[in-house]
Amino acid sequence: MRIGRYELTLQPRPERPGVHSALTAIPAILLALALSSLLFLPADTGFLSAYRAVFSYAFANPHGLQATLYRAIFLWLCTFAFLVPLRAGLWNIGLPGQVYAGALAAFAVPYALRVNELPAPPLPAGLVILLMVLGATIAGAALAGLAGVLRAKLHVNEILVTMMLNSILFWLVAYMIKEGGPFMSLTGEGESFNLPPPLYAPLLRDVPFTALLALAAAGLLDFLFAKTTLGYRIRVFGLNPAAARYAGINPVALSLLVFLLGGAFAGLAGYHYFAAVPGVYKIPGNYGYYGDLAFYGIICALIARGSAVGSVPIALLFAGLSLGARFAQGQFHLPFGVDYALLGLLMMAFVASHFLYQFRVVWRAVAVEAVPHVPTRIPER
Amino acid sequence: MWELLVRSLEASTIFLLAALGELLDQRSGVLNVGLEGLMLFGGTLAFIAAQTTGSYALGFLAGLAIGGLLGLAHGFFSITLRGDQVVSGMGLWILSFGLTTYIGNPYTGPLGMPRIPSILGLSPFVYLAFVLVAAAWLLLFRTGLGLAIRSVGENPAAAEASGINVALTRYLCVTLGGMLAGLSGATYTLSYNPVWNYNFLMGWGFVSLALVFFSMWNPWILFAGALIFGVMWQLSLSPELLLPGILSRYVWRAVPFATTIVILGLISTPWFRTRWGLAKPEALGQPYAKE
Amino acid sequence: MQGLLFLSPYTLARGGELSTLTDLSFANRGRGEPLLAARGVTKRFPGVLALDRVDLDVEEGEIHAVLGQNGAGKTTLMNILFGLLQPDEGQLYVRGQRVHFRSPHDALAMGISMVHQTRKLVPAHTVLENILLGHPGTRGFLNLRAIRREVEELCSRYGFTVDLGAKVWQLSEGEKQWVEILKALYGGAKVLILDEPTSVLTPPEVKTLMASLQALVQDQGVTVILVTHKLPIVTAISHTVTVLRSGTVVARLRNSEATEQVLVQHMIGQDIALSMADLPVEKGRPLLRVEGLSAYNDKGVLSLRGVSFSLREGEILGIAGVTGNGQEELAQVLAGLRPPASGKVLFDGRDVTWLPPLDRWRRGIGYVPAERYEVASVAALTLVENTALNFHFDPLFSRRGLFNHPGLEQVTRHILLSYKVKAPHPYAQARHLSGGNLQKLILGRVLSRKPRLLIAHLPTQGLDVEATAFLRGKLLEAKAEGAAVLLISEDLDEILSLSDWVAPIYEGRFAAILPREEADAETVGAMMAGLYRKEARVP
Repeated sequence: MRIGRYELTLQPRPERPGVHSALTAIPAILLALALSSLLFLPADTGFLSAYRAVFSYAFANPHGLQATLYRAIFLWLCTFAFLVPLRAGLWNIGLPGQVYAGALAAFAVPYALRVNELPAPPLPAGLVILLMVLGATIAGAALAGLAGVLRAKLHVNEILVTMMLNSILFWLVAYMIKEGGPFMSLTGEGESFNLPPPLYAPLLRDVPFTALLALAAAGLLDFLFAKTTLGYRIRVFGLNPAAARYAGINPVALSLLVFLLGGAFAGLAGYHYFAAVPGVYKIPGNYGYYGDLAFYGIICALIARGSAVGSVPIALLFAGLSLGARFAQGQFHLPFGVDYALLGLLMMAFVASHFLYQFRVVWRAVAVEAVPHVPTRIPER
Repeated sequence: MWELLVRSLEASTIFLLAALGELLDQRSGVLNVGLEGLMLFGGTLAFIAAQTTGSYALGFLAGLAIGGLLGLAHGFFSITLRGDQVVSGMGLWILSFGLTTYIGNPYTGPLGMPRIPSILGLSPFVYLAFVLVAAAWLLLFRTGLGLAIRSVGENPAAAEASGINVALTRYLCVTLGGMLAGLSGATYTLSYNPVWNYNFLMGWGFVSLALVFFSMWNPWILFAGALIFGVMWQLSLSPELLLPGILSRYVWRAVPFATTIVILGLISTPWFRTRWGLAKPEALGQPYAKE
Repeated sequence: MQGLLFLSPYTLARGGELSTLTDLSFANRGRGEPLLAARGVTKRFPGVLALDRVDLDVEEGEIHAVLGQNGAGKTTLMNILFGLLQPDEGQLYVRGQRVHFRSPHDALAMGISMVHQTRKLVPAHTVLENILLGHPGTRGFLNLRAIRREVEELCSRYGFTVDLGAKVWQLSEGEKQWVEILKALYGGAKVLILDEPTSVLTPPEVKTLMASLQALVQDQGVTVILVTHKLPIVTAISHTVTVLRSGTVVARLRNSEATEQVLVQHMIGQDIALSMADLPVEKGRPLLRVEGLSAYNDKGVLSLRGVSFSLREGEILGIAGVTGNGQEELAQVLAGLRPPASGKVLFDGRDVTWLPPLDRWRRGIGYVPAERYEVASVAALTLVENTALNFHFDPLFSRRGLFNHPGLEQVTRHILLSYKVKAPHPYAQARHLSGGNLQKLILGRVLSRKPRLLIAHLPTQGLDVEATAFLRGKLLEAKAEGAAVLLISEDLDEILSLSDWVAPIYEGRFAAILPREEADAETVGAMMAGLYRKEARVP
């Protein structure tokens, strides 16, 4: 862009040391926070106090903090579900579908065991819970694996396949829990049956055990990428698939593996939210809301630049923010969908900071030409 | 039966307009996976504008404008900043998905305006879509600008060396494509189904994206594909028109998506791939840097 | 194959031979102002000064050669003349008038056209579409019939025939080059810049091109700027030579003053022995046997058509061919990166035809691909991690799933040292290495595994003289240690100075497999062009 004798251009930054890369998360988050404050402009009491209410509910209020933690666990698992394929250069946006698959599989276990019809569960509760967790994990993995196989063997665009699967699973859940579907609750309210108390997930200080699984997974994932051969192979594949093939890395096996792993996390997230969070213990009629929530995982993984441990505080922050926003929405009579708008703004903040970071704005004087360009045609011979 | 066909044609119009925009994008080498986002935003703003001002014209204008604007933004990230086009597209989708839910919520419900009159029993947009398909074909294959667009998508270095401004051409296509996507969304909320609800598209955008791949980047094949999908989509929405009572209606809703996966798989098999692979703009999705 | 190219009887009557300079008279040689001139042109790239106050004078109606080694700045200078790049300092003049080219558009408007080193054609489009692209007369609706007639008339005027409806990807490299020249001429070019036009041509095609250029200049009054690093061409047809070395003009000579000796000295600045000492080696036992190997390329065309040969330990087989004759597919099939259509590969007695790449590396096959950035390295990873590309499966470096970082670092340091790779430290990113250093690293890490069979595809392409000599020495060392080497190259010098056996490849088949003593440049060059083939003897 030229302005008189000066011009404004974008020059790619030549050096990008690793530390800088991690630090870019901070401006992205700050930008996100700044943008999301715009959402509270229509609040009755002025947006600064609205913002304060958001944070104090999410992190200071014991009830709110608990809810934040439950949501954070869900987001951590969704983040890992997106993060693992991301390191391999693949996009797993089938998170909602895999979450639904996990939920369905988890509920299929008590359904198959006819838990609600019998006075006591036929198997020890602990075993049933284990089966539920396993089922959810496997279902999520299988669904993602389908996309992975299609991508690896036939080079089908995984974005399209996973989006299609999202829709398919969404309707499948509707079928199962509404209008006479197999999982429908006996009261017929368009939601699934309730889990009996013995099958509630064990709690440690009111927090489901899935928190431990998620936190352990964060550490293990980062260790995987930094120190193991498999992690190395995934990274090479993500950075340069042709070089990976040259190095003898099997693209089919690798694509499949990362999708299976990712899907497993998402399936587990499905188990967590619908079967492990106190107060829920069923697939509610508005399950779609939780499916949509899974998309936050994409943003957290992107902002954390693929670092699992790095995404833990980020997801915690966004869990609190979205929950607090919901709370503020009710409190201050803001329009519905503040948390959705937040999702959108966060993505925008991320994309902007991600791209703009790679460039710096340069303002320089352009070399002046003494003679203006005179177009002439060289005469015909 | 006739009613089914009419509704199918109108449904295919939605697919067609959005897919045509994406086809133009992709022919110039830019991949926009956030198509659904542009459609959502176009539809939402069109709905709001029309309802508040009472004018259809303003509504469509709003849809076109936001579509073009978002297309321009995508172009900025992809062309000037040379970023990952998938990241930018996904960003636009989530942004639109989130913001439209918020913005549109107060307007949930029917449009409440007299319906746009139909011509010969069909919505006027069906005819518009057909005209646009023909126009697109003429542009791409019978004009110098179209040759430039196709070359930019195949080999931008060759186009640049031939004196063509690659960036400008791509910006043009991405903005026009965005406008078409916005128009598609506006057509949905103002004509096809004039009721606003959050996430009203429920996946149409991604199916349109798939349609572009199926069409081998040819407007006429796209037209045929959109027609077929329109029928299938309409059937999934109201299966009782043809096959009453068989299978829950929720399962029917899932059918178009499952079909899309199957077709995606089929066109990726080696037999199909050699023919299809040759039709794909070679520089699709790759940022171009002037040396 | 579609797209055959003929020269009109007119140009053929000139014998297709290169006239000596004393015969040429410059019709219409301008007095006074040169047609195209550059003064003080300077261009900097990050970390490198590509051009340093370069002056250039091109007279009207002459063939002006710009000579220099790889990396001397020739292409950069031409890109500036053509408007693809902007100079940091300096001015351009056309007929004495100052001009500023903001883009190729401006240069084209002035009648300056460029045919680049790499093809700037759209492979999926037809010849006609490529010729039309960007032509000012084709803004709106295209009247294809009228345009087709115009182009056909142009073709016959300049004496070339080519099928306008053929898709460019189906043409041979020489034909593609003609399409680019035609495109320039259709655009009204008065100055034609050719950047290394002969690098992808076979010797007979080179002769044809040179003759046609002379005809263009003498009969049609076109001015030609010829950029090359090949001496015979310069001495044969140019009127004036400008020699570039490391971004500066070191000489400007009339053809009469330019002998090969003088030119070499200017180009290189020092004498470098170009022949390699022949290290006597014990020929070992047979290691590789290939029978009737065929393969399809990415476009589904059978580009490798039944190749058979065998190779012993301590032997180098040089496969000489112009890119696109099946060598890439051969290298990839042997490396396991492409499935063969038919045939067998036997390594050390075992059938490895369908073995995945990883197992081949484990058995002692090493592969240095031609694409050093796209395939052989990962720019964003560190040098240590790049080394790991060839080591990650080795139990020594991957114990119980854990990556052995210290061990790999040691290996990397060793490679950096013994291959004289200029790198700040082993944990620098690969993207910071120059092409030559990166290639040294790649060859070093492949050779560090002591492979028994080394497939080296274009190992010294684009490298400067010192790096080239160094790497060729390493190949000979590998041979001396008993490795069998398959050398795939376009450079006849390289093939002839290193190989024990020479196999020219043309259209997917070996023309012959000649022992070194029987392989001379003429014969091999002719076979590379498909002129004749001997019964391929499998030794």
